Amino acid sequence: MRYAYFPGCKIAHHLPAHGMSVEAVCDRLGIGLERTEFACCGYPVRHESQDASVYSALRGLAQAQSMGLDLMTPCKCCFGNFQHASHQVSQDENLKLRMKNLLDEERLPFPETVRVRHLLQVLDDSLDTVSKAVTRPLRNLRLACHYGCHALRPAAVTHFDDPLAPTVFERVAAATGAVPLPWELRLECCGYPLRGRDESISDLLMAKKLSGAAASGADVLATACTYCQLQFGRGGGIPSVLFPQLLGLALGLSPEALGLAPDAPWLGRLEKE
Amino acid sequence: MDFFSAGLGLACLSFVLGLAWRVHGRPGSRLPAAPEQDRRKSGLAAGLADIILLRRTLRSGKVRWAGHMLLILGFLPLLVLHAMDGIVTRPLFSGYEPTLEPWQSARNILGLAALAGLALLAWHRGRRLLPLSRFQDWALPGLLASILLTGFLLEAAKMASPADFERMVADYFPEADSEEFLALQALWARENGVRFERFLPTAPEILEHGRELHEDRCAGCHAPTATAFASRALADALPARIVLPRTVPPIFWHLHVGLSFLALALLPWGKFLHPLASSANLVARGGRRDSGFPATALGRNLALEACTRCGQCSLHCSVAPSRRVLGNADILPMDKLADLRSWLDRSLDDARLTDLVEGSHVCTECLRCTQVCPAGIDLQDLWMSSKAALSEEGRAGVDGEFRKRTAGEWALDLGSRRLGGVGSSGTGLADRAESFWGCVQCTTCTGVCPVVAVSTDPQRDLDLTPQQIMNYLRMGLKAQTLGARMVWSCTTCYKCQEHCPQGVPVADILYELRQLGARTLRHKGKP
Repeated sequence: MRYAYFPGCKIAHHLPAHGMSVEAVCDRLGIGLERTEFACCGYPVRHESQDASVYSALRGLAQAQSMGLDLMTPCKCCFGNFQHASHQVSQDENLKLRMKNLLDEERLPFPETVRVRHLLQVLDDSLDTVSKAVTRPLRNLRLACHYGCHALRPAAVTHFDDPLAPTVFERVAAATGAVPLPWELRLECCGYPLRGRDESISDLLMAKKLSGAAASGADVLATACTYCQLQFGRGGGIPSVLFPQLLGLALGLSPEALGLAPDAPWLGRLEKE
Repeated sequence: MDFFSAGLGLACLSFVLGLAWRVHGRPGSRLPAAPEQDRRKSGLAAGLADIILLRRTLRSGKVRWAGHMLLILGFLPLLVLHAMDGIVTRPLFSGYEPTLEPWQSARNILGLAALAGLALLAWHRGRRLLPLSRFQDWALPGLLASILLTGFLLEAAKMASPADFERMVADYFPEADSEEFLALQALWARENGVRFERFLPTAPEILEHGRELHEDRCAGCHAPTATAFASRALADALPARIVLPRTVPPIFWHLHVGLSFLALALLPWGKFLHPLASSANLVARGGRRDSGFPATALGRNLALEACTRCGQCSLHCSVAPSRRVLGNADILPMDKLADLRSWLDRSLDDARLTDLVEGSHVCTECLRCTQVCPAGIDLQDLWMSSKAALSEEGRAGVDGEFRKRTAGEWALDLGSRRLGGVGSSGTGLADRAESFWGCVQCTTCTGVCPVVAVSTDPQRDLDLTPQQIMNYLRMGLKAQTLGARMVWSCTTCYKCQEHCPQGVPVADILYELRQLGARTLRHKGKP
């Protein structure tokens, strides 16, 4: 199983632990990550220009198609924008023509066949393998899984999971031995898209989510998106942890190899076997 | 004062004044203070290795590395041992004469190496960097190549020039009689490539006589000119019937020396400084490729000056596709850095500032430019701090511009204008009646909106709710919605669209309104 690995822009500087843990986990599970120099997925520029956003996404897809691989990203926003761009060109012949011309100039094929997969889907595809590879089940850990908007909605475009009652995150989380809890706000927005735009609303959305997760009785809030983690990483209260880090622990990897601080208090719960 | 001293004096003056101006320090306070960073893994040795071995340049491409290596290994010794021979080579090496071996052949080897390096660099630029190149990108290698070429031409002209031969004989063999003069001429014409007007004898005994005189009077300071192989080849390439007039060698001398002074005078300007500034920056960075070190105002000023305009950042930029669509040069790092420098120096005009702000906001802070920069510039730190500084001064991008005025003010301003639509046909979702046919104003979109939910008074905080925006658009009142806080504080969670029982693409329409706002500002220049 090999994928063109699309980490997204924010990992290198803002959240290197996400990249570290995704790579470590995939390495352990035998998921091959092929690298190439991708540009941005086009999600951030979507506020400014539809064409710039769609072209950025199609260019990434075209690169993956040239590699003969499907594309895998650990970021929900990258995932959503790839799906959105493909949907846009399928709906709009003129847009498709403009995009084909731009791709032509870079000698890239128009991406027709490449599939975009989020890390959670890739793990879900081989849930048995994941379960069997777990050597250190996270038995005592109660998780509040945070879905992240851009992969989930609009479902007619993203085709990620049932938009009103998704289960993929909990399914994969349960494979680590942890206990995913049902909680009311799991499908709500983290508030990151308003960072730098409307800080006060962004803070309010984040606080609401964090208190909701804490109220559910969870030990940690689990994320599977770079932006969501960047947002919750700013807040206090319940710790927010990247899902690949949790999975990595269950696979027997050390906290350091996953970019985790070994003295994080919530890690203490794992010791109480 | 002669040409040499005057030229050298002026060039040095320009160099010193220019350098002082360049490093006089800009208002560093314009950028917010850098966050304190740890000081791990920084080392002088790593920085020096980056300079000497050009390690970062090697990472950006073998051709660029080879070109730079050849240029530096050729040009630097020429600069020290040849251009400054009076104060370096002569005191260090007893019996030094520029016309003796090994100096003569060394000059030719070094000069050819430097020229080969320049040729590689020009080829690389022409092949990969043509669209990014400006005048100074060609001026710097062009000037260096001219210095090297005039050097070869000067040497060749001196070899071929009969006037120079006569001057040397008059200086070092003044008592020569006409027979001795002829013998020496015959030998030099045959062996050393001097071109005389008169026909010269080739009889072996005359040449033998000439050789004896040569050994006695000339050879002490003159290796055979054939050892200066490149120049000699140039001299030999001169058609046989041409005899160089007396004025030719001085012309090449003035060109060679004059161009060298010009290079010295230009050294503090533009990318001419990069051999010094980039080296200093590499030492300051101590081998680091991440961001945040050194976190000092001095470090930032050094970083701002260290750009070589090599274009690597722009070639690898993550938002280069956006640059292709939007056409703004300041989306790419290399040009953005130049405009950022002007902005910090308060010399950026308003139109360029608009470009800089857009470029600053399209950047995704992906670190790649910082990782590839051969000069080791911490671009990431400059982008992040300048974005904050621009916002601080009221330049927070499209979003910030729209928040400066109320929805009512925007409605008045934009109401009389044809806003056009976003999308291929000029009519986007917001312009199509079909988009809203199904809307029954059931307020589900507003009811599920998390932004509305965290507001105690949506009318005050957001101007309009999502369902009100749909209603305005249905009535064709687009200008009335464009400045509404709801449009700009939408968190793009798509709950409205997902939950709409009638299939109205609410979130897509809000996206479209923001895109339209961005385009309106771009076309307007500034609000």
